[in-house]
Amino acid sequence: MILQHNKKMEATIVALEGRMDAITSSDYEIKMKGLIASGERNFVVDFEKLDYISSVGLRAILATAKQIRSRNGKFLLANVHGSVKEIFTISGLGSIFPFYDSIDSAMAFFV
Amino acid sequence: MIKIEHLSKNFGTLSVLKDISIDIREGEVISIIGPSGTGKSTFLRCINLLDCPDGGSIHIEGIDLLDPKTNVPKIRQKMNMVFQSFNLFSHLSILENLTIAPIKLLGMNKMEAERKAIDLLKMVGLAEKARNFPDELSGGQKQRVAIARCLAMEPKIILFDEPTSALDPTMVSEVLSVIRSLSKKGLTMVIVTHEMDFARDVSSRVIFMNEGIIYEEGPPHQIFENPHKEKTKAFIYRVKSFNYHISSPDYDLYAMNAEIEVFCEKQILPRKVRQNLILLVEETLQLYHSYLSKVSLDLTIAYSEKMDSVELVFESTGEEIILISSEPGTDEFGLNIIKNLTEEIGYQRIQDKSRCTMKLKKV
Repeated sequence: MILQHNKKMEATIVALEGRMDAITSSDYEIKMKGLIASGERNFVVDFEKLDYISSVGLRAILATAKQIRSRNGKFLLANVHGSVKEIFTISGLGSIFPFYDSIDSAMAFFV
Repeated sequence: MIKIEHLSKNFGTLSVLKDISIDIREGEVISIIGPSGTGKSTFLRCINLLDCPDGGSIHIEGIDLLDPKTNVPKIRQKMNMVFQSFNLFSHLSILENLTIAPIKLLGMNKMEAERKAIDLLKMVGLAEKARNFPDELSGGQKQRVAIARCLAMEPKIILFDEPTSALDPTMVSEVLSVIRSLSKKGLTMVIVTHEMDFARDVSSRVIFMNEGIIYEEGPPHQIFENPHKEKTKAFIYRVKSFNYHISSPDYDLYAMNAEIEVFCEKQILPRKVRQNLILLVEETLQLYHSYLSKVSLDLTIAYSEKMDSVELVFESTGEEIILISSEPGTDEFGLNIIKNLTEEIGYQRIQDKSRCTMKLKKV
């Protein structure tokens, strides 16, 4: 999985690419822990280029969301489409997160 | 009518038939099915002593065929055989092919033999070819002549050794319809065939042979609709399978996924099915994860071409594993995904093996 991040206004955009599975989900967790530890509070996770997610990935998403919210931060998911969206839905996690259709619509939350 | 007990046949060190026993009653139509190279044709050839068995006994109407004093040619007159490759005499006309044996072996006069031959050729729809030679006929026509020639000897038993295997697909049905009509005349018939629909329609009993034994036998509806044994199911449902052994919690997920992808590509499974299959495997292995340091696990993915279905079997040896549990602490996301991707989930404990089976939901 490829992870990239950049800061835009009040939020850090984390873009995921490839597969988020039993092996790669820990890369995401490490990256997010580092960003949180460096003081970032608000996040938009971009799923545009993520092809696959398993329950290990879903748990990692949920764990970071809890961490950020416990610090009064915001954690938003954007561009969740196709089979990845379907997995969010069938796992039951889809009802916990609102999905934003684009990075811009998620960023509007911080304006 | 035919009683076979403990029949065995070896070719060198290769054991082709192993302890085969069967009773065939008068008027029965028996189809023998099974994978190639499993001894079906050898079994038929042993019944007719074209191949000599190495052990066991064969009785035809109470006569011991393997007794050196038995007049085997006389028995063969009662029990004729139709071969894959027709075995017609190419230098004789069709009529002569049908009359030579009745004249020479049954002592029939030529006129009577020719009259009977014409009747038989009419029956198989080839009376107009009586003066032709075998090379002037199509494969299907040759095989129909071979059947008529077989009937000319007035056998009580006919053995068919893959009678349509050498035929162009367009000619199979003409031969099968002739055999089908014979099945209604009370003849005892044993048919080795790969034509499953035909075997289902025509047989009173179906024998599934595998690796030199009668693996399962029963009426057609049992064998074709509800086979009881694993290898029969795999054969009937045209199951292709993939196996992967996992012996450590640090198994190589990507190597396994790559092999599953290759298997799916070979079976031409749609992309969505592949995605769901890989996700289902990963989710299930997550549930197994804490056990993998204590037990080894065998994963089998079986695709049935006939049913267009994918079944997964996770079999572990050792400690009993209750995989799907509603107790607190169970991975709820993983379980939800598994339940949504499957039509059925089953669990069995057999001796020291725990087996979890899943049927992938159709997309």
